[in-house]
Amino acid sequence: MNYIWAGMIFVGVFFSIINNNLSAFTDGLLNSCSEAVEFVIGLSGIMAVWCGIMKIAEKSGLIDAAAHKVMPLIKFLFPKERNSETIAIMLMSFMANIFGAGNSATVFSLKAMERLDIENHYSDTASDTMCMFLALNMSMIQLVPITVIKIRSQLGSTDSASIIIPSIIVGLISMVASVIACKYFERKQSKP
Amino acid sequence: MSQLLSTISYAFIPGIISLVILYGLYKHVSIYDCFIEGAKDGLKSAVEIMPFIIAIFIGIEALVSSGAMKFFETIFSPVFSVLHIPKELISLILLRPVSGSGSLVLMERIMSDNGVDTFVGKCSAIMVGTCETIFYVLALYFGVTAVKKMRHAFAAGMIGYIVSVLASVYICKFM
Repeated sequence: MNYIWAGMIFVGVFFSIINNNLSAFTDGLLNSCSEAVEFVIGLSGIMAVWCGIMKIAEKSGLIDAAAHKVMPLIKFLFPKERNSETIAIMLMSFMANIFGAGNSATVFSLKAMERLDIENHYSDTASDTMCMFLALNMSMIQLVPITVIKIRSQLGSTDSASIIIPSIIVGLISMVASVIACKYFERKQSKP
Repeated sequence: MSQLLSTISYAFIPGIISLVILYGLYKHVSIYDCFIEGAKDGLKSAVEIMPFIIAIFIGIEALVSSGAMKFFETIFSPVFSVLHIPKELISLILLRPVSGSGSLVLMERIMSDNGVDTFVGKCSAIMVGTCETIFYVLALYFGVTAVKKMRHAFAAGMIGYIVSVLASVYICKFM
């Protein structure tokens, strides 16, 4: 992360010098900080609501019940994961992704990552479970890309929802690719 | 079919909230107290992730506003032409992994320039709908953890991204 971030900044500075738009660059940077804060403030409301709802689900035992239902799939994807609460939160993050719940998905994913980190004993190396969770998260299908469809109909598309089925197919293909890639890397690294 | 899927999607949040609350009442959990307790945790996490979000926003802005993205476009264009990917889509493909809102704006522009229901228009829509902002996800999710070495998470994410870009283009060709 160190290098990626430093790289992003320095590449940015370098190109703004070459393109001679240092002032636009500075404005952009300053604007983006306040945008980030605004984004978090918006996110914190959603975060509070979902964490509250999840707490109810946790106390009532709904989380355990849900986690048990999907055990076989979880066993395949995350063979090392035992904690049913963590599994439930990961599941919620996937569901929120699939149903296009936007920032709610981010909230669950962050919660799940925090829990995985604790189970990983705050190690500085990512666990297999973390990698798989991230890879899945990054390629998760969305049943209905609501925002995209909205924009399409605003621009006067004759059938704005026609992209739903192809999107699902593309999503599935990329999900399979990510899982295979992840499993491959896991296997390769577990060998001495 | 599409209609059904969007109804399910819209019903997700109201549905899940009602389900959780009803189940809580049924199990005699003091749901209000639980909600407040959870919400407190949620707000705490929100404050904790703020620095990471600021960092990643700055990084992305640095790439976009400096014109670095434009440069990458020119470098990569030969690769894309070999793969039969239309050049209108190059900037979108490069921007999508770093910026969600940026790629939405770009998609809108591509659609209004080339037509919504054209090959390029549909392709851009599917790409935005299926691909994730990989760099943002990586930075944010690993930001909240103590992880410094993210091992194969990045590679697996990139492979998924490249596959979904290629799949979007080639599936659109058949549409």
